[in-house]
Amino acid sequence: MSENNHEHMHEHSESELSAELAAKKAARPQIERNNTHWLTLEHYNNDPEFMKKAETEFQSSPLRESESEGGWARREFLKLMGASLAMSAAGCIRRPVQKIVPYNKQPEEVTLGVANYYASTYFDGNEGLGVLVKTREGRPIKIEGNPKFPMNKGGLSVRAQSSILSLYDPERLQGPKHNIFNEKRSNKDTVSIKWDGLDDKVVAQLKKGGAVVLTGNVASPSTRAVISDFAQAFKADHVSWEPLANEEIREGQRASYGEAVVPQYRFDKAKMIVSIDADFLGTWLNPTTFGAQFAAGRRDPKKLSKLVSFDSTYSLTGGNADIRVKIKPSQQLDVVMGLINVLVVNKNLSAYANNEKFKDSLVSYANTAQKLGIEPALFTKVATDLWENKGQSLVVAGGLQTLTSRSAELQIAVNFLNSLLENEGKTVDGKNGNPGLKASYAELEKLIKEMNAGKVKTLIIHRVNPMYALPKEAGFAEALKKVDMVVYTGDRIDETGEHATYLAPDNHPLETWGDAEFAKDIFAIQQPAIRPLYDTRSFQLSLMTWAYLANVGPKRLITFETFYDYLRNFWKEEIQPKAAKGKAFEDFWAEVLQNGYVGDLDHSTAARSFKSEAFAAIKPASNRSGFELALYPTVQHGDGSSANNSWQQELPDPVTKIVWDNYVCVSIATAEKYHLKQSTVVELKVGDKKVELPVHIQPGLHDDVLAVAVGYGRTRAGRVADGVGQNMFEFASFAGGPVFAGQEASFTKTTKKYNLASVAGNNSMEGRMIVAEATLKDYMKNEHAGVHRHKTWSIWSGHQYNGHKWGMSVDLNTCTGCSACMTACQSENNISVVGKTYVLQGREMHWMRVDRYYVGNPADALAVFQPVMCQHCDNAPCETVCPVLATVHSDEGLNEMVYNRCVGTRYCANNCPYKVRRFNWFNYAKLIEKPMHMALNPDVTVRPRGVMEKCSFCVQRIKEAKNKAKLEDRKLKDGDVKTACQIACPTQAIIFGDLNDPESQVAKIFKDEPRSYALLEEWHAAPSVRYLSKIRNNDKETPAAEKGGH
Amino acid sequence: MAKHGPGGIAGIWLDEHTVVKAAAKTRESGFVKFDAITPYPVHGMEEACGIKRSWIPYVTFGAGAVGLLSGLWLTWWTSAVDWPINVGGKPFFSLPAFIPVIFELTILFAALTSVGALFYVTKIPRLDPPNIDPDLTSHKFAIFIPENDIGYDESKIERFFKENGAVEVKKMAEY
Amino acid sequence: MIHRNKLVLGDKDLKDITEDICAPIEAYPSKGWLGLLTGALSILIFYVIILGIVIGKGIGLLGVNHPNAWGTMIVTFVFWIGIGHAGTLISAILFLFRQKWRTSVARTAEAMTVFAVMTAGLFPLLHTGRPWLDYWLFPYPNQRGPLWVNFRSPLLWDVFAVSTYATVSMVFWYVGLIPDFATIKDRAKNKIRRTVYGALSLGWRGTAKNWSHYEMLYLLLAGLSTPLVLSVHTIVSFDFAVSSLPGWHTTIFPPYFVAGAIFSGFAMVVTLMTLVRIGVPEFKNYITIDHMEVMNKIIMSTGLMVGYAYGSEFFIAWYSGNPYEKYVFFVSRAFGPYAWSYWTMITCNVLIPQVFWFKKARRSIPIMFVVSIFVNIGMWFERFVITITSLHRDFLPANWGNYAWSFYDGAILFGSFGMFLTLFLLYLRFFPAISIAEIKPVLPVGRESKGGTNG
Repeated sequence: MSENNHEHMHEHSESELSAELAAKKAARPQIERNNTHWLTLEHYNNDPEFMKKAETEFQSSPLRESESEGGWARREFLKLMGASLAMSAAGCIRRPVQKIVPYNKQPEEVTLGVANYYASTYFDGNEGLGVLVKTREGRPIKIEGNPKFPMNKGGLSVRAQSSILSLYDPERLQGPKHNIFNEKRSNKDTVSIKWDGLDDKVVAQLKKGGAVVLTGNVASPSTRAVISDFAQAFKADHVSWEPLANEEIREGQRASYGEAVVPQYRFDKAKMIVSIDADFLGTWLNPTTFGAQFAAGRRDPKKLSKLVSFDSTYSLTGGNADIRVKIKPSQQLDVVMGLINVLVVNKNLSAYANNEKFKDSLVSYANTAQKLGIEPALFTKVATDLWENKGQSLVVAGGLQTLTSRSAELQIAVNFLNSLLENEGKTVDGKNGNPGLKASYAELEKLIKEMNAGKVKTLIIHRVNPMYALPKEAGFAEALKKVDMVVYTGDRIDETGEHATYLAPDNHPLETWGDAEFAKDIFAIQQPAIRPLYDTRSFQLSLMTWAYLANVGPKRLITFETFYDYLRNFWKEEIQPKAAKGKAFEDFWAEVLQNGYVGDLDHSTAARSFKSEAFAAIKPASNRSGFELALYPTVQHGDGSSANNSWQQELPDPVTKIVWDNYVCVSIATAEKYHLKQSTVVELKVGDKKVELPVHIQPGLHDDVLAVAVGYGRTRAGRVADGVGQNMFEFASFAGGPVFAGQEASFTKTTKKYNLASVAGNNSMEGRMIVAEATLKDYMKNEHAGVHRHKTWSIWSGHQYNGHKWGMSVDLNTCTGCSACMTACQSENNISVVGKTYVLQGREMHWMRVDRYYVGNPADALAVFQPVMCQHCDNAPCETVCPVLATVHSDEGLNEMVYNRCVGTRYCANNCPYKVRRFNWFNYAKLIEKPMHMALNPDVTVRPRGVMEKCSFCVQRIKEAKNKAKLEDRKLKDGDVKTACQIACPTQAIIFGDLNDPESQVAKIFKDEPRSYALLEEWHAAPSVRYLSKIRNNDKETPAAEKGGH
Repeated sequence: MAKHGPGGIAGIWLDEHTVVKAAAKTRESGFVKFDAITPYPVHGMEEACGIKRSWIPYVTFGAGAVGLLSGLWLTWWTSAVDWPINVGGKPFFSLPAFIPVIFELTILFAALTSVGALFYVTKIPRLDPPNIDPDLTSHKFAIFIPENDIGYDESKIERFFKENGAVEVKKMAEY
Repeated sequence: MIHRNKLVLGDKDLKDITEDICAPIEAYPSKGWLGLLTGALSILIFYVIILGIVIGKGIGLLGVNHPNAWGTMIVTFVFWIGIGHAGTLISAILFLFRQKWRTSVARTAEAMTVFAVMTAGLFPLLHTGRPWLDYWLFPYPNQRGPLWVNFRSPLLWDVFAVSTYATVSMVFWYVGLIPDFATIKDRAKNKIRRTVYGALSLGWRGTAKNWSHYEMLYLLLAGLSTPLVLSVHTIVSFDFAVSSLPGWHTTIFPPYFVAGAIFSGFAMVVTLMTLVRIGVPEFKNYITIDHMEVMNKIIMSTGLMVGYAYGSEFFIAWYSGNPYEKYVFFVSRAFGPYAWSYWTMITCNVLIPQVFWFKKARRSIPIMFVVSIFVNIGMWFERFVITITSLHRDFLPANWGNYAWSFYDGAILFGSFGMFLTLFLLYLRFFPAISIAEIKPVLPVGRESKGGTNG
């Protein structure tokens, strides 16, 4: 430790030096830039308006040096790395020494060419994740899951990984700004100001009272403390709201059990899962964590859990269901009540079986199965399966898709069913939910009233974007005009930002200290990985500064000069006593910084008793016909707050495989009935709201459902997201609780056509054995079920691989298709984004793709997902045909791509049966806009125009692991090498290792796993990748006719 | 400019058949170094002048053989000796795959060398050689007897040509 | 001795022949020729500009994409290479078979070969991602420490085959030209022409000894070109046949491609010859209807061969029981998104040439011209069908995707004709379009009156 101290003192002086140096270069030359997120090539010439912005870009910051030579910049970064250690809360006057400790598995000091990992956290308003920030020469280049973290266990979501780009987003605010309004209070001009200038104005205003802090969910306990201290100081209110609030769950819980919490759901403990539109594998609450838990029940087919999904959109969860039933939003309640009816009335189960009055209340739900248009037997089986797995089953409903006018009843019904099934306290843990999830539309509604009443003088908006995510009818815009001063801490002048008087930009999460409590008593730390790039200031420090200048509020608020000190103090006072009694704080602190968290998910919790009177709230079933709207968030964008991110935009939707757009999903029958084609534009109407959207024909969708994604149609997010799709938040109805689903909708066909860019060439496997699939019954009979084996032989012995021989296996049974691997690969391997125009032309660059096929009859199609990367074939067809030996085989069985040697004949791509090779049709690398280039992985070549590229099995990581082993003077052991996709995979479906090491996991799978098969085995390219067949737990047996086949 | 060749005497004919006969006569009368000049290969002229079969085919064969061997050597040495590398799991010396290249090299060598041989034997390229009569490349025929031939006698030859239907007789300083 | 039609009409004597053939070279260029040249030249310039842009910006300007990594450039490459073959066939193979009728068309056919190969040769070079590095395809000693090329790659075979073919056919052509250059030189009135053609003729004098060597060499070159021309299109077909793609991976390709090449080549010869006959009416006496008819017969028969190949592909696809291949032929090729191109091909290549069953059609200039054009179109589409319809839907349906047509695809195909025609027109103007030295010996054919010994 003392050594550490010494070091950081040293770094401290370094930092001042660099600060000076920065100051000197105040008069900076204008940087030459070009559009990165170009949509078309033509489109990437600099536009003048933008060049103007470029001049005022970049105050003193690490970026300044990065303009000069790359190497130079890196060296400068090394210095600033010191700074990043030294300066947590930038913007404050003095720069005290603070310690952050690298993740313990990593070297403690920065060595050129060796990455440092810092344990931190990621929170997007609903999902909380423990992450490791990979930094090279002092700049964050990749975000990975923290394998120790008790929730996501190393897996990571698409958005968490993409958030590295938002750090380097060239359109971030570079410092505080002041919006000058005209009389109509619409933005006239925006000027830069100094922080102290801003502070004076804000403090003066705050003293007038009537302040409100509007934030999203706050997962950080210390931030919650800061806010409450601040509220106390200025008699301010704190309102929290999220577009994706979980109010319905909290209210349901309050009604059923008396306490308004979002429970901790335990999918790992559930053998029988029924989801009513709760997309827990895609977008609901903690999908990454849930995915990991769900996989636990899928990994071993002999102990296969069962997932039944009642799906009104085609959600990722529905895509993974063993049994998927298409419903419309208005039937969600029917499903739950129907199940209760089957158990209690038909089967006379549970204590309620002899409660006639209760039974009568279910009458209207008696024939739910018919209503859903499914076999009553099937429906009954679902119910009885639930019962048979009492205490090990789980029924979930929630998310936008369930926010119908009857969402409250739905939640109560679900809670009742879980209690009935004795899941309460076992798979539903009401005691250990995320205390941060407090967002509420009701509170917001109240706030808007107060604003209109003129009671709100100052409104501080943090991490939410109401002007984008609220329908006009909410009247927020008008209300905002009545507020004297609006202070916005967003990182850009977005939809809300343009209406704010002052913009006090918050640091990026990677630049600032923080902490988090994602589940009760799991406390995680958020470490900065780099000094703030620009003249920004953390939200917490802003509040503290204002209190300090006004000299009001509790001592801790105004004494500490940085939020870091506040945080440390908070952990000392509040958290350590709970988490680690009687340990020296310094040790505790160091340990937390190293592990990134303290605490554990497993607590014994008693079941809460269900308040039966709540059940009375549930009205009889209603019958509805006609189209119903279903709004849903997407895996890639969530609520759309991070939409200005090219990785997210170019990530194919896990189910529809469409990029860069939102669209109306209609069923096949509907499409036929109204003569709609893919990409026909329709005018969608709900009440008096209208919008024109292209049609996407979605197999397996209910005929009465029109499903559209939210999170698109940003207008002030930036060059990437602006004008992509339509903003469907506008279609939510607001008054008296938000309604996102089940509204009566209609559409009229227009003559327009709008091309949707889909990367799915074909939805069907055309009867080929690509994703081998079998039902559980088949599997129990024969473990090779569904896999058609071929006898292949070669006319010569082939080459020998002594030493290592790398191989990979992908378990299609645990893979949920969440596509996190694609983003991981993109981040690790510097893969270019090409934009919609070129995706339309089939020019997408993803090295790893997740193929999605529909199986079964199209009307209620099931989905299968298959990640496909370079298969590193021993008899690689691509190698044979390359005239210049630009792709050859390494002696470790890798199919190597030699970029410098590639002339670009593209013959290899033609000859690859898996079509995993990607070609640089244009000079994409040249389009990487500063400072985006800092997100590049220095270990991976940036490919020039005209060369082929493809998955390399993360050869750079293999090399890294080998060097590490060599330095530690030991043999490489299984698990030393992990590919990027493997690390990111929430369900650990991907395993990589040495096939020549008989003890390695992957070698065992190749050798013994009966489910494993090689893709296109009969072509005898002898791939080094094995897929494990998918097993569907649906009580069916495959008829002999459908067995085998190619 | 150096002397192209010995001078001599040339007769000019207008008809293919007579010139062939004349050539035959010339040969009978003991001349050996004489030659006939025609606008196109005249049928029967070789026999008439007693020209032996061309030896170029032997050159062609030799060159072809060399081409084949060098092709074989190139493919073998580069892929199996100098830089043996695993390509698509194929043997280092994948002979069947090398055959096309070897074949093409064989043809190339054979063809080019043969042309070279022609150039050598016909002493071309040559800049603006002496010309007996410009029409010899169009519709006239000629027989030329160099002064260094056995029994060379201008007056005799002139008469001899005339007797055999030459329309014109030319004395050449050099040819 | 069976009766033959005269190979040369209009009772020409040697002098006439010389004069007729040299006329276009010595006379002042006709308006028609100038007009055509301007047209061709402007297309050529357009072509150069387009290629410039493509090289400058990237091959992505064309419709090539994932999974169709090859497109217009390769299609057009095979198209032109195929055209070339008829030339060699006429000049070499028919020569070996002592087909005397060939003499009058051989020269132009060969010229066509040379120009077609030149046009074709550009494509494999320019369709690469980094054309400026194309020289890496040649196995030259280098200091990048052992670094050679991959002799297993059909593309490399192509490099050798095409370059050899280009060299040898050019040499063959030139050797044939030498005596005629001498003729032109000797007739030359003005100094420049005399020097230029003098140089070109390499000082040829045509002594009996020289002629005997010369004829031998000509025979040898013919003998070498014959296997060469067959090997070239065989190897071009290997580009596809050796790969593992359903629809490409077919053993029938070599003969099928060669037949197709001759087919398209003769069609092109007919197209050009009809044009030559129009351009230089005097040549009608040398390039007679009989010549044209013979070529039309060949077109029809090779057309049938190609048709047979199409059929057998389907048979084998069905017979092999290979689901991927079955899909390519029975679903995506005949009825898929590119069915139109497939049926265009069938119509142009198999159906339309059938009119040549009728003598009238065989001997009618307008009809044969139209048919020959259709065959050219059809053969371009044949290569398109092979390349794209195999690529666009292969093993994993998730990768399927259509070719992303762009303006540049059309522009490049169109422009390539500019290059070819410019070269061809210049040739008509400056080179003897009919072999003077070869036509003279066949003068007596079919003239019993004069005791012609040939026959």
